[in-house]
Amino acid sequence: MNNSAAIEVLGLKKSFGENHAVQGVSFNVNQGEIFSLLGPNGAGKTTTISMLSCLLRPNDGDANIMGHSISTDPMGVKSVLGVVPQDLALYEDLTARENLSFWGKMYGLRGSTLKTRVDEVLNVIGLRDRANERVGKYSGGMKRRVNIGVALLHKPKVIYMDEPTVGIDPQSRRNILDSVVLLKNEGMTVLYTTHYMEEAQELSDHIGIMDHGKLIAHGTHDELVKMVGQQTRIDLTLNGNADQVMAAWKETEGVSRVTSDEGLISVLVQDSNLTLPHLFEAATKHSARITSVNISEPNLEAVFLHLTGRALRD
Amino acid sequence: MIRILDIAFKDLLQLSRDFKTFMFLLIMPILFTFLFGYAFGGFGGNESDSRVPVGYISLDDNWVTDELHDLLDKSEVIRLDENIFRSTSDLEKLVADGELAAAIIVPDGYGRAVLKDKTIRLTVLADTGTQAWTTIEAEILTAASRVDGAVRTAAIMEQFELEGVPFDYAFDEMLAAWEEPPIAIKETSSLVIEEGGENNALAHTSPGMMLQFAIAGLLTAAQVIVTERKSRTLQRLLTTATRRIHIVLGHFLAIFLLIFTQFIILIIFGQFALQVNYLRLPSATLLVAFTAALCISAMGLLIGILARTEEQAITFSLVPMFVFSGLGGAWVPLEFTGKTFQTIGHISPVAWGMDGFENIVARGLGFESVLIPCAALAGYAIVFFILAVWRLNAAEEK
Repeated sequence: MNNSAAIEVLGLKKSFGENHAVQGVSFNVNQGEIFSLLGPNGAGKTTTISMLSCLLRPNDGDANIMGHSISTDPMGVKSVLGVVPQDLALYEDLTARENLSFWGKMYGLRGSTLKTRVDEVLNVIGLRDRANERVGKYSGGMKRRVNIGVALLHKPKVIYMDEPTVGIDPQSRRNILDSVVLLKNEGMTVLYTTHYMEEAQELSDHIGIMDHGKLIAHGTHDELVKMVGQQTRIDLTLNGNADQVMAAWKETEGVSRVTSDEGLISVLVQDSNLTLPHLFEAATKHSARITSVNISEPNLEAVFLHLTGRALRD
Repeated sequence: MIRILDIAFKDLLQLSRDFKTFMFLLIMPILFTFLFGYAFGGFGGNESDSRVPVGYISLDDNWVTDELHDLLDKSEVIRLDENIFRSTSDLEKLVADGELAAAIIVPDGYGRAVLKDKTIRLTVLADTGTQAWTTIEAEILTAASRVDGAVRTAAIMEQFELEGVPFDYAFDEMLAAWEEPPIAIKETSSLVIEEGGENNALAHTSPGMMLQFAIAGLLTAAQVIVTERKSRTLQRLLTTATRRIHIVLGHFLAIFLLIFTQFIILIIFGQFALQVNYLRLPSATLLVAFTAALCISAMGLLIGILARTEEQAITFSLVPMFVFSGLGGAWVPLEFTGKTFQTIGHISPVAWGMDGFENIVARGLGFESVLIPCAALAGYAIVFFILAVWRLNAAEEK
């Protein structure tokens, strides 16, 4: 085992009948860093997290969490782990304080230590004033905060966060992203799954990109972006014969790739300043009119597009 | 191990906030005990008479027949059910339907025949295959023999023309001499309870409703487990260092405590409000309540684990409630049914629970009489618990 690796994943595989959900995923996460698994819905992120949480048994492969094997020492894994599930796993008819107390006990906390940690976590998630209200009466964002708070109670060495910002308002989302950075600053190792490129880009030391059960690339943000050769993406919409225009753009100098998704055409180019006039020219030549243009500097979206030929939102 | 208590306490906290829990566990059984108790004659009037009902029609108009009637009417074992509008065929139907244990028809000329020492027979309609028949037969024979014996003795004394001993006087003296007969019949079958004892209808409906609504209480308990799985809190529990068996035991303990407490409250209510003598044998009553609660809790655990949705939890709770209660004699005593149905009925754990409670409060039996029912209930508890653990492992551990 790599001594600095908090999470070491070795060829994990999981199938449900004919559905090969995870197909030999391997990666390492160093202690104290944030590693994001980025991929569209159904890519296999949650199945991977479930195996790393000892909820699902892998068909093949293994993983070590702080030196504990998920196959041979699941209780050891669970003792160093905090999990923030994608769903709100809370008892809605209990108050936030009662929820935190119960989960603290499940993590082995007792007596004054438990009480102190519950109060500390209530402060961290900003719900101390409303701690005695039933969780069922909370807004979605507040529930999400309690959902995260539960995983922090026992100060785990490793924390998994499975799409923790799904379906919440921007303010709550901001709070959650800030709290993830705080966890890292406190020395925790965070494995974060998301299908939001911006979150992975903002938070992560390392990023793994998953698609169809495979880890198709991983590295730092800069390392991944370099994979697309520093290309710029231009998103356009137009009125006219899109097929003819796209065919023309593919032949245009400086264009490496043209894809279309529900009327939005994405063009990967080396230099947008040089190529953009040629794109307008080709459109005009085919009696089409460009109605909108959006230029994106190289990012993870472009990397995903480059690797899979599909946009991440697909 | 302490996590088991934590999970049980959490479940009880959740259940305490659900009004349905109190509805099903306390309010409904008390209401239904009154309702069924009233329906079975548990409150007031002759309907609370615990003697075996026997129809009676006299086609004879003679003072000897009246004496026979008076003797039968004073019986501690049979209760004459008389209605001047009933015909012989009505009685046949009532006996066939089981509404009367038997019926006596006194033929015309019975009194005169007895006085003339001629043979004449009473007609008795009965199902001679029942346990009650032996008792009824003995009681009728005793009364008829007393009348016949008194008549013969008085006639003999009159024949000897003893001075100052007229027939009427001799007859009354002979009849009175039988007030303390050499053999007294004391019924021990389930149909009759001891004199001065409990109200028979309530002695049946109280444990019946208690058992039925203990199963109904699973509705709320099972929903806690279903909700836990639906809300993914069960999966989250499994990511902590809490063992699967601790989770199962925690839920089981919560349901057990809930149902056992329900039993205790309803037993106290039955004892003091309904005069059902549960405390005649407190240790036996506690043992039956304990094993019944174990059995029903294990059933609740299994239902909670089998049900995927709250709707299924409701269905899976109500079906066994009705099937087990009906089959197990919670509504109508199994003694009123045939042997085949009684055997089938004991597939239901409710039947064993009823046996246990009724052996104490209705049949007046001793502590040892509850041991077999309790062993059966404990056996059911083990089977249900093993099935629940197996299903949980099969469902979650893919």
